[in-house]
Amino acid sequence: MKIKLLSLCAVAACSLGTIAQSQETVKFGLCYDLSRSYSFATPSFVQAAEDLATLVNDKGGIEGHKVEFLVQDTANEPQRGIECYESYKREGVLIFDTMSTPVSQAVLPRAMRDGNVMMQPLVGRGDAIVGDVFDWIFPVGPTYWGQAANAMDYIKQQSGGSLEDTKVAFVFMDHPFGYEPQPVLEEITKRENADIRFFPFPLPGVDQSSVWSQVRRYGPDWVLFWGISNMHVVAAREMRRNGIPMEKYIGVNWVSKTDIENMGGLGKGLKRSSVVDSDLENPLRQEIVDKVYGAGKGAGDVAGTENSYYMVGLALYSIAFEAIRIAAEQTDGPLTAEAIKAGYESIRDFDNAGLTAAVTVTPEDHGGGGKTRIESWDGETWVQETDWFSAYDDIVWSIARDAASKYED
Amino acid sequence: MDWILFLELAANGAVTGLLYAMVAISIVLIFKSSAVPNLAQGALVMVGAYAVLAFSDWLGLPMWLAIPAAMVFMFGLGIGIERHALRRLAGQPIIMILMMTLGLDIFLRGITLAAFGGSARRMDLGISDDPLFVGQILMSRVHLTGAAVALMVFAALVLFFRTRRGIRLRAISNDYVASWSVGIGVEQGVALSWALAAVISTIAGVFWGAVQGVDQSLSLLLLKSLTVAVLGGLDSLPGAIVAGILLGVLESVVSGYLDPLVGGGSRELVVAVTLILTVLIRPHGLFGDRSVERI
Repeated sequence: MKIKLLSLCAVAACSLGTIAQSQETVKFGLCYDLSRSYSFATPSFVQAAEDLATLVNDKGGIEGHKVEFLVQDTANEPQRGIECYESYKREGVLIFDTMSTPVSQAVLPRAMRDGNVMMQPLVGRGDAIVGDVFDWIFPVGPTYWGQAANAMDYIKQQSGGSLEDTKVAFVFMDHPFGYEPQPVLEEITKRENADIRFFPFPLPGVDQSSVWSQVRRYGPDWVLFWGISNMHVVAAREMRRNGIPMEKYIGVNWVSKTDIENMGGLGKGLKRSSVVDSDLENPLRQEIVDKVYGAGKGAGDVAGTENSYYMVGLALYSIAFEAIRIAAEQTDGPLTAEAIKAGYESIRDFDNAGLTAAVTVTPEDHGGGGKTRIESWDGETWVQETDWFSAYDDIVWSIARDAASKYED
Repeated sequence: MDWILFLELAANGAVTGLLYAMVAISIVLIFKSSAVPNLAQGALVMVGAYAVLAFSDWLGLPMWLAIPAAMVFMFGLGIGIERHALRRLAGQPIIMILMMTLGLDIFLRGITLAAFGGSARRMDLGISDDPLFVGQILMSRVHLTGAAVALMVFAALVLFFRTRRGIRLRAISNDYVASWSVGIGVEQGVALSWALAAVISTIAGVFWGAVQGVDQSLSLLLLKSLTVAVLGGLDSLPGAIVAGILLGVLESVVSGYLDPLVGGGSRELVVAVTLILTVLIRPHGLFGDRSVERI
């Protein structure tokens, strides 16, 4: 499977020739928040998208289809997201992504109504993994429910196979994003007899001092931290001030090397839930550095390709590219949203050349399995603590199905 | 009741409040001289912090040199803003002047985003993050240092207002028409207050940057600082200090006890309730002049 994406590129390059010129371009519409809440990550996603498109297009495209990314800033405003979606729809875009929970929630009903493919990985509605309800939405990758469940399972393994009497502090930003994993955590706590306590901190997440005073008094065995970007930096400082060892910290996936650098040495031992391989030697990244940046066609600074979010972007779009490849194989005529949807639902054991866990998407499961792994920062690089895994799938799916049934109503 | 927790929340709230006060002092300075509630004050804090990083990271200056260099730059920026943006609006309705400061806020946030990107940057002052226990109470070293500097800034301003130039500023604050009539340069006085406010914003930006990193969210300090300035009295420097401590303690203690019960969100509620009650019950604030004249 690891060579599948590379073979995708190779097949695209070798097999097309003159046919490549005759196939229509597949357009992605990225209605991204490039200037507000998600701007810590979205520029890296866009850079990854454009680099991947350059790499694939230079090889003749995906089964002859060139790829084009259209990008617009929504400033995280739902109305601007809707405008972006509508304008790209008129331009013939077949696949949309918003990378913003509020924008995604505004656009999702339109994509569902119009029958357009919407990616929605990592953000937006977690219950969109329920493919038989959200048939046009493909949040391939772990939900926040899945990430929390996997982190709890990791804690369980580290605690000798039992969570009984293990104290877990869940420190989270006071925002729907922070509340999302809590039903899963409560269910797991009930099942495992664990002791979990919730500690919200206010937005924009830069003043966490009073929260950490209370966390210190609670004396947790583990800290699960649900914040983004710079909030991890503030948390690391507060943990140091409160004498809580960084080795107890497991962050949600939104921790990057930039955040670690901003911690100024405090990050050693920090753990995070990872959705993507951070190894800079990853063959897909290496190929982009060699062929795209080597030819002076990079979409940004080559240093940007070392960012975790860049790697996440590569993973997400190469999954979409795989869906297009399958769609092109399965379709005789022009590519349609319907064909790409079918392509997505035919992805089997695709691991993005080792970039992610092996992903299988079916008409019922649009999440692809929800696997993550735990990594720790050793002071210089990310070290794998576990292999790809998922846990408490029954709890995650029960909550997802319950939420999805309310959408149906 | 856990008194140690109470005292820890109160003490840390007080020092945080003094950091709010430093920004509030800048708001008060401008309001005293020109009756303009500067909605771009949070953005000036952010620009001040970015200026320090620009001198430090781009020009390679050590932090002890980058900070004064940024203060000089911000002094010029403050004068520039007053000279080219605000002075043109003399005689216009106050809502236009407010809109101008709001526009400046958006402009400054946009331009820093374009220049520095969206990722937070580190402001390393060399202050240790190791635990510091005062008795049984855990304190933050960077907050403590920032609070001490806030008090020093306040003291420096008190002394400044006793100098000849400071007395002129006080005269402008009391009655700018009368000041004009006796030959005091009102425009220069107002420009000086903007310049001083920008310099103090830089100092605030340095400490807030050390606390939370430097990014666009620094501009959000406006909300709490404005609340502090209104609570203390928009024309009262001592009021800003007292109100800063008061708001800091209130939000820390109340949220410390309420958040675990209500699941979060009470910190912002404290700030909002404080602002609303102040405006309803005591619009001139704790120490403000009841007869402040709006120009």
